[in-house]
Amino acid sequence: MSNTVAHADPHAHPHAHAHHPALQHHFDTMSQQKEAAVIGMWVFLLTEILFFGGLFVAYMIYRVWYFDAFAEASRRLSLFWGGLNTAVLIGSSLTMALAVRAAQTNNRKWTVNWLVLTMLLGCVFLGVKVIEYEDKFANYEVPGANYNWVYHEQHAAAEGHAVEHRPLSQTPEQLQRTTQLYFSLYFTMTGLHALHMIIGVGLMLVITWMAWKGKFDAEYYTPVEMSGLYWHFVDIVWIFLFPLLYLVERHT
Amino acid sequence: MASEHAHAHPHGHAPHTHGHISPISLYITIFLALMVLTGVTVGAAYVDLGQFNFLVAMIIAVFKASLVVWYFMHVKYQSHLTKLTVATGLFFLAILLGMMLIDYTSRDFTPMLPPTSPDGVIGTPTTAAPAQH
Repeated sequence: MSNTVAHADPHAHPHAHAHHPALQHHFDTMSQQKEAAVIGMWVFLLTEILFFGGLFVAYMIYRVWYFDAFAEASRRLSLFWGGLNTAVLIGSSLTMALAVRAAQTNNRKWTVNWLVLTMLLGCVFLGVKVIEYEDKFANYEVPGANYNWVYHEQHAAAEGHAVEHRPLSQTPEQLQRTTQLYFSLYFTMTGLHALHMIIGVGLMLVITWMAWKGKFDAEYYTPVEMSGLYWHFVDIVWIFLFPLLYLVERHT
Repeated sequence: MASEHAHAHPHGHAPHTHGHISPISLYITIFLALMVLTGVTVGAAYVDLGQFNFLVAMIIAVFKASLVVWYFMHVKYQSHLTKLTVATGLFFLAILLGMMLIDYTSRDFTPMLPPTSPDGVIGTPTTAAPAQH
């Protein structure tokens, strides 16, 4: 492990690999090139952190203002699907880390395999998200003209299921309006997260094809590692979204 | 690994890589820790801790995120410059969240006009928590 910045010393590696085909002419060494890529990727991720950060700020303000509405609306999400998706995404982070490791160890076959598995898990996540969104549409829980807070409960009562809920501090008329804030944030945050996942799967398609063509070796696997950083970042966003959206208040 | 790695192979021609290679067992361990912590978060949500439910959920989430950043994203093995870059982002996120919270918790400290809308729902609240009463 090194805590020194890769310095520009072309004489550090006097032997042949100083002329690795992936080495760009404006870098002196492969490690200098990689260091630049890692820092550049992190700078991009910082803009992403602040991008999602703005949404988290909006969420915090409305959660403080309308806590009861958030607690009530949060229970309309399925903990089963949310929990499953969390596990799926953490699993995809593992397979992504293993894909990078396979690239580091010159294992072309398993780099491709782990990348394909990561994409599959990403698609499973998106599929579950479709099921969840569909349920929201079916229950008139999408903010807008057709939003109907009481439909879900009336529908359940009509089918003979009693819906238990905490003592309400707001009237259904107030909840009809305030819970839309929660669902607006829910769709914006999970929607943007899902968009990032779609982009991530698209990135990985390219990277997998490059890995398949043998573009990477133990000395040059920067694109695999960069898509890994992106994918793990998307995982981290979900690590916060899950408790904030699904677990506002589950006791009582 | 950066530049030190040039000296890490005294035999000179070992297979070259410019990154720390973590053992598979480490990745599996982190994965299992993340899964267990997810279970703990869900479990903790069903226990009434009052105001601390939110705090516990966030502490667990921050811990999970740290594991991902440190081990999956290899920040542990990066240079000081990379670590500083990561820390800068978190610093600005802290400013964003911190300043917002300071604003919204201190609004009632100074006399302000009461909420104008009687039902106190969506509109232009002049003070915090208009609809909670």
